[in-house]
Amino acid sequence: MSRRSSIGRFTAQLFALLAIFVAWEWSVWLFEISHDKLPPLSVVLSTMWFDRAPLAAAVGTTLLEAVLGLMAGTATGVVSGIAFSRSRLLERMFLPYFVASQAIPIIAFGAIIIMWFGNGIASKVIIALYLSFFPVAVNTLRGIRSVGEGEIGLLRSFGASPTAILFKLQLPAALPSIMTAVRLGASLALVGAIVGEWFGASQGLGVVLLMAMFDYRIPQLWAGILLTGLTGVSLYAAIVFLHKRIAWWQVEA
Amino acid sequence: MTPKICVKNLSKHFTAGVSTVQTLDNVNLRVNDGEFVTLVGPSGCGKSTLFNIIVGLLPPDEGLLLIDGEQQPHDHLLGQVAFMPQRDMLLPWRTVLDNAILAAEIDGVARATARQRAMDSLDRFGLGGFESHYPSQLSGGMRQRVALMRTFMFDREIMLLDEPFGALDALTRALMQRWLLEVWEGEKRTVLFITHDIDEAIYLGDRVLVMSARPGHIKLDKEVALARPRAPDIITRPEFVELKRELLATIEDESLKAFAAMNRSVSDKEAGGR
Ligand SMILES: Nc1ncnc2c1ncn2[C@@H]1O[C@H](COP(=O)(O)OP(=O)(O)OP(=O)(O)O)[C@@H](O)[C@H]1O
Ligand SMILES: [Mg+2]
Repeated sequence: MSRRSSIGRFTAQLFALLAIFVAWEWSVWLFEISHDKLPPLSVVLSTMWFDRAPLAAAVGTTLLEAVLGLMAGTATGVVSGIAFSRSRLLERMFLPYFVASQAIPIIAFGAIIIMWFGNGIASKVIIALYLSFFPVAVNTLRGIRSVGEGEIGLLRSFGASPTAILFKLQLPAALPSIMTAVRLGASLALVGAIVGEWFGASQGLGVVLLMAMFDYRIPQLWAGILLTGLTGVSLYAAIVFLHKRIAWWQVEA
Repeated sequence: MTPKICVKNLSKHFTAGVSTVQTLDNVNLRVNDGEFVTLVGPSGCGKSTLFNIIVGLLPPDEGLLLIDGEQQPHDHLLGQVAFMPQRDMLLPWRTVLDNAILAAEIDGVARATARQRAMDSLDRFGLGGFESHYPSQLSGGMRQRVALMRTFMFDREIMLLDEPFGALDALTRALMQRWLLEVWEGEKRTVLFITHDIDEAIYLGDRVLVMSARPGHIKLDKEVALARPRAPDIITRPEFVELKRELLATIEDESLKAFAAMNRSVSDKEAGGR
C-alpha cells in the first residue's frame, strides 16, 4: 500500500516538473521574454548537451567535495556529540563556541580557508565540513540524551560498561536523529562546496556559475543552476535512502 | 540453610524538590536457593524500587543485602542477577533473536555462539519462526516472551521478574504462567517475581510475600503448600481458595491504606490551592 502510494506520489511529482518545464518553454515564446533574462529550456538543454563533458566534470568535482565534506562533518559532529554526552564540562566549555561558530557566515572567512588550504579540493571539503558538522553534533547529543534511564539501567544490570552502553544502546538510539541532521547537512555541504569554489577553484559547479555570470553566458548560467539543483536533489535523495536503510525504525519527517 | 537472597532492614526514600517520599521502610526478606517467591503489594508501595536496589541500580539508604550469606556492596550485583524490568525495553533496531541475546552478548558471549544458543531455545519460548521479526511486528505477549527469553539467556542463578505478565490479557496470561512454570521447573533458578495478581502469586509461588502500602515493608510471608507440578485447575481447590482469602484480606487492607493516602494527598493539594 505504502509502496503504491509512494510510486503514485513520484509520478505526480514528475508530472508537476514536466508541467513547469513546458510552462517555462512556452511562456518564453508566448510572452517574448528576452533570452538574456530567461532563455527557453530547449536552449538551456542544448547548451548542456553541447558542454556535457566539462559540465559532468564540474558536477563530479562539486559532488565529491560536498560528499567528502559531509562525511568529515558527520564524523566531526558525531564525535563531538559523543564527547559532549560524556562530559558536562566539555559541553559547557565548547558547545557555546560551536553555536557561536554558526553565527559567523562562511563568507566572512572563506578567503582565509583558501589561503590556508589552497584552491584545490581540500579547502572546499573544510568549508562543507564547517557548515554541516553543527546540526550533526547537536542531534547526536540530543539522540544520546533521549535514551531512557530504564534502558540504561537494564544494560547496567547485564554488567554493561559505559562503552558498551554507548555502542549497543545510545548510538543506535541516536541514529535516527543523527540521520535527520545528516539530511540537513547534505544541503549545507553542497552550499559549502559551491561557496568554496567561488573563493577560488579551477573546476566545479561554482566555477561554472561564476564564469557564466562574468561572461554573461546566460544559457550556461541556467545550465549551471539546473545541474546544481539536480545535484542537490540527488544528494538529498541518496541520504534519505540511506536513512531509511540504516535507521528504518524511526524516520523523522 | 543460608538463603540465596537475604535482605535485612532495607530502607529507601526519594527526594523530589522539597518533598520526601519514604518508599521502603525496614524491608526484610529471604529467598532460598531454587525457590520461587512471589511479591504482591499495592501500586506504588516500592516493589520496583526494591528490585532496583537488589540489582544494584539504586543504593539503599540503610540495610544489608546478602547473597549466599555474603554481604554485597550496593553495585556489586550489577551483571550478577538476571533482571526483567516492568517494561519490556526491547530495542527496536534489533530482531527478536538479537534482542534475546543482548544480555548474553554484553556478558561477553560471542555473537555467533549466543545466536546459535538462542535459535535452539526459540521454540521453548514460543517464538519459533519469529527470529528475524522486529519488536514493532510483535504482539504484546510475544514481546514479553522475548524479554523473558533475554532474561533467561542471561545465565545467572538469581532471576528478578517485575510483573512480566502485567500487560497481557487473562487467557495469554494463564498460558504464560503455565509455560513459565514448565521452563522454571527445568532449571530451578532462584526467582523473585512481582505481580498484582493474587491468583498468579499463589499459582506460581513457593511462597507469597505481601508488601504494605508505602512506606513498604513485608507485611505477610505465606508458604504455598501446593504440590508441584501444579495443574491449571488448582485455583479452584479449597486450599488455594483459603489461601487466597487470607492474602486478599491483607492486600485489600493495604490497598485501601494506599488509596486513602493518595486521596489525602490530593485533598491536601486542593486545600493548599485554595
Ligand atoms: N527515581 C525516583 N525518584 C523519585 N521517586 C521515585 C523514584 N522511583 C520511585 N519513586 C517513588 O517511589 C514509590 C514506589 O515506586 P515503585 O515504582 O517502586 O512502586 P511499585 O510498587 O513498583 O508500583 P507499581 O506496582 O505501580 O509498579 C512511588 O511513589 C514513586 O513515585
Ligand atoms: Mg513497579
